[in-house]
Amino acid sequence: MTALFTILFYAATAILAVGLAFKVVQYARTPAPLKIPTTPAPVTTGGVVLRMAREVILFESLFKSNKWIWLFGYMFHGALLLAMMRHLRYFTHPVWEWVALVQPFGMYAGFAMLAGLGALWFRRIFVQRIRYISGPSDHLMLILLLGITGSGLAMTYVARTDIVALKQFMLGLIRFDWQPMPSDPILMAHLGMVIALMIIFPFSKLLHAPGLFFSPTRNQVDNAREKRHLAPWAAKLEAGGE
Amino acid sequence: MRILVFILAMMFLPSLAAAQETGGVPSPSITKGKGEQCVADTDYMRRYHMKELSHQRDETMHEGVRTKQFSLKECIACHATTDDSGQPVPINAPGEFCASCHEYTAVKVDCFQCHATKPEQKKQAQASALFPMTALAEPEVSQ
Repeated sequence: MTALFTILFYAATAILAVGLAFKVVQYARTPAPLKIPTTPAPVTTGGVVLRMAREVILFESLFKSNKWIWLFGYMFHGALLLAMMRHLRYFTHPVWEWVALVQPFGMYAGFAMLAGLGALWFRRIFVQRIRYISGPSDHLMLILLLGITGSGLAMTYVARTDIVALKQFMLGLIRFDWQPMPSDPILMAHLGMVIALMIIFPFSKLLHAPGLFFSPTRNQVDNAREKRHLAPWAAKLEAGGE
Repeated sequence: MRILVFILAMMFLPSLAAAQETGGVPSPSITKGKGEQCVADTDYMRRYHMKELSHQRDETMHEGVRTKQFSLKECIACHATTDDSGQPVPINAPGEFCASCHEYTAVKVDCFQCHATKPEQKKQAQASALFPMTALAEPEVSQ
């Protein structure tokens, strides 16, 4: 089991890192031929940085468009951040001070994740308009995240695992000095689903995380009148080349 | 696909060399208890000692049932160490039985805000008669 998970973890990490890098490069190279910031838009670069920050930190556009989705989406993402910060204790030695500080709060974040995910899935199933546009991957993604959250909570509150041995296993992976993994079924399910998530990440809608930064309607400065927008390939055409 | 295989190979190859060089993965130092065996299976204790201790607390405090199996006092009696001069070391001091794993995993211990961190000492009775203040400074809270 240890060997299997060790190999899977390395493979999943490689797929995640390479896949994500590939996608980011692809996004960066995709031409944005037109000036299309959604107005009212900032007229300076500094303003755009602020707008993106509000987008990333507060989910501003989502808030403006739908309060319910924002509420549950924000709940889920905030709790996810907290839970991930708490998990850093398995990968750092000695554990960073601020990780130790947020660690106890992360214990309850799982419930907020569960509630947020549950509500978002409820929406996909029972809101007719949303149900119509939901593909299998939309449902499966939520089920996967619910599974990870559920198994994580189960380890905190029901069937615990040997977290000292788990940290040794994780540090072993990072330091290439492999250690045995505790063979609790829930832990294996949890890690297995996390591996699946890592592998799926670069091929799925989860790419909205890096993708947000490449949205032309959000990352462009509204200065079309002051400065003519000319994509490099268009400039080449205009200069007479092909 | 070929790229993937290549990357995997690149990740594993240096690791073989590194595994021999590194002094191993950092681990907590778990001191052995004085007794032959713990009150329950080690695998069980590693996972559930906190549940048993709070369960014990509830039974003792709320219901007045005082049993020995999961008594914190007994944990300390067995797992505490002594320093060079033979004095007991607090069990939550850095590197000691409680602290080493709890620091390793960043889990707070809130037993010792009330409970004593050193075992009860019979031999110390005379010493504490000489220095009553030290006896006061280390209240022995029984379970």
